[in-house]
Amino acid sequence: MKLASQYNRVNLFVSLIVLLLTGVIYYVVIHFILTEKLDRDLSIEEEEIRAYVGTYHKLPLPGDFQDQKVAYRPVKKEDTSGRNFSNCVYLNEKEQEEEPGRSLLTYIMVNKQLFEVTVVKSRLEAEGLVKLIFLITLGIIAFLLLILFLINRFLLNSLWRPFYGILDQMKAFNLADKNEINAEFSKIDEFTELNQAVLSMSQRVKQDYKELKSFTDNASHEMMTPLAVINSKLDTLIQTAGFSDQQGELIEDIYLAVGRLSRLSHSLLLLAKIENNLIKNEELIDLKELLNQKARQFQELLQSNEISISLNLEAKAVSMSKYLADILLNNLMSNAIRHNLKSGHIDVLLSADQLIFSNTGIATALDDTRTFERFNKTASSEGMGLGLAISRQICNLYSFKLSYQYENEKHSFIISF
Amino acid sequence: MKLLLVEDEQSLRESILAYFSAEGNICEVACDYHAAMEKINLYSYDCILLDLSLPGGEGMEILRALKKMNKNDGVLIISARHSLDDKVDGLNLGADDYLVKPFHLSELQARVTAIVRRKSFDGNNTIVFNEISIDTQAMKINVNANLLNLTKKEFDLLVYFIANQRKVVTKNAIAEHLWGDEIDLSDDFDFIYTHIKNLRKKLIEAGCKDYIKSMYGVGYKFESI
Repeated sequence: MKLASQYNRVNLFVSLIVLLLTGVIYYVVIHFILTEKLDRDLSIEEEEIRAYVGTYHKLPLPGDFQDQKVAYRPVKKEDTSGRNFSNCVYLNEKEQEEEPGRSLLTYIMVNKQLFEVTVVKSRLEAEGLVKLIFLITLGIIAFLLLILFLINRFLLNSLWRPFYGILDQMKAFNLADKNEINAEFSKIDEFTELNQAVLSMSQRVKQDYKELKSFTDNASHEMMTPLAVINSKLDTLIQTAGFSDQQGELIEDIYLAVGRLSRLSHSLLLLAKIENNLIKNEELIDLKELLNQKARQFQELLQSNEISISLNLEAKAVSMSKYLADILLNNLMSNAIRHNLKSGHIDVLLSADQLIFSNTGIATALDDTRTFERFNKTASSEGMGLGLAISRQICNLYSFKLSYQYENEKHSFIISF
Repeated sequence: MKLLLVEDEQSLRESILAYFSAEGNICEVACDYHAAMEKINLYSYDCILLDLSLPGGEGMEILRALKKMNKNDGVLIISARHSLDDKVDGLNLGADDYLVKPFHLSELQARVTAIVRRKSFDGNNTIVFNEISIDTQAMKINVNANLLNLTKKEFDLLVYFIANQRKVVTKNAIAEHLWGDEIDLSDDFDFIYTHIKNLRKKLIEAGCKDYIKSMYGVGYKFESI
């Protein structure tokens, strides 16, 4: 749930409760005030009657005026129940309607005769006033809720826009990309702070990444000269006569290790170069021809491993660097040979939208998620585990998709153009 | 041949010097940019082995200076930079070849020999070794005036051996020379054995002596007995 809608929900709920409570309190208080006023009016009426009786020693006429009725009834002393106010029904004779009323029951002595006096006033006006107030309150509640809703909806959305802007940029952030995160302008301190934090973080990360990359680059580079020295010293060493077979084997092992080390350095440099997009020179490559050429180039290796190869090639040209195309096909072809069985088979299939290398090999599928990782290789593999990582990097560079499949006991590497 | 080696790494310089001097070549050295500029201003060489990153200046500048002086020295760039741009730039500036460090001395020798042959014997592309004579242009080999039929790989192998005659050449140097450095397939170079066996057989059948000797499992040596 979004922060805004969560906040909205709580906000609206609380507002509703508070406003309803206010409405109830309003109602009760106003009701109480109005009743007080009515009771005061009734008491004034009572005093007027008493004053009249005091002056004239008789009761005034029972009257019916201004929404007010006065009635007398002679009672015995035993039947009195004391002066009290109560709600009652008031019969409006003009309109022939029953209205809510308020009555005062009191007793008065006229010439030694006790009279019960009932004064009734209509409460209609007061009730109307209360109702009106209640309706206004309701109206305000509805209006306020609407306003709150609209504010949340439109104002909050526009307030949060810089946040979503920076979030989108963070989602799209890629270390290998050249494009930086741009500051989203916002007047809100929190977002400005977030912006600055994200900006400085991305710059720092990029800087670290760049340093790391240039470290790999320099390290691989610096390795070349000592490797060249070792190699040349070995070449010089073997010119001196008088080696035993055992010494010869030792020297061969050193050669192999030096060879692997220099290939490793070259591969790392190549990876760094592809990642930095330093290899340009795109041209149209005739894949069909290049594959035929590779098959010829690898002929001796195929023969010495007794591997048969079948090419099923349609004409297809892609725009890429010749150098990288060579490396890509070499890697895939080498893989297919290296991980093949003795007397195995390789199928190369080229169509307008796909290039598939499939080969026989070990009877279990490779781990799909780790196959293309750097330095991921099987224990028996003689390679460095960089071939497929480089291949994938090359494919990524040209927006091809390199995937792996295991089907019918064949391992397939598929490039989708 | 007369060579100039421009290289700042002392150990590498010594090895290359030792390898080339043994064949009776005159090999001079320059260990930085200024020494190299001085030498090329004063003398001419059959081939200059040029490192690109030098103390005191860029190797590419030496190439430019050579071009300005209209000199016809062969140039082989030896660089740790395995960059296509450097390669293209170097070749455009008139270098004859580009070799990436680390390399086998036998490969260096083969490349230098090829450059010197192209440069110095204009139109004459013949290599002669005892009774074997090779026309590198027409890719023809005559043994005692009889035509010898070799495959492309066997031909390259023979030329490589003759360029490195009397030297022990390792199996992986041969493999890299014949298949390029892309083929880092396996550490097992036995597959080149077939080619060497076939070449040896064909040479002997054509009436050559057995020039190819296997050396302590490391490699092979081509020498006249």
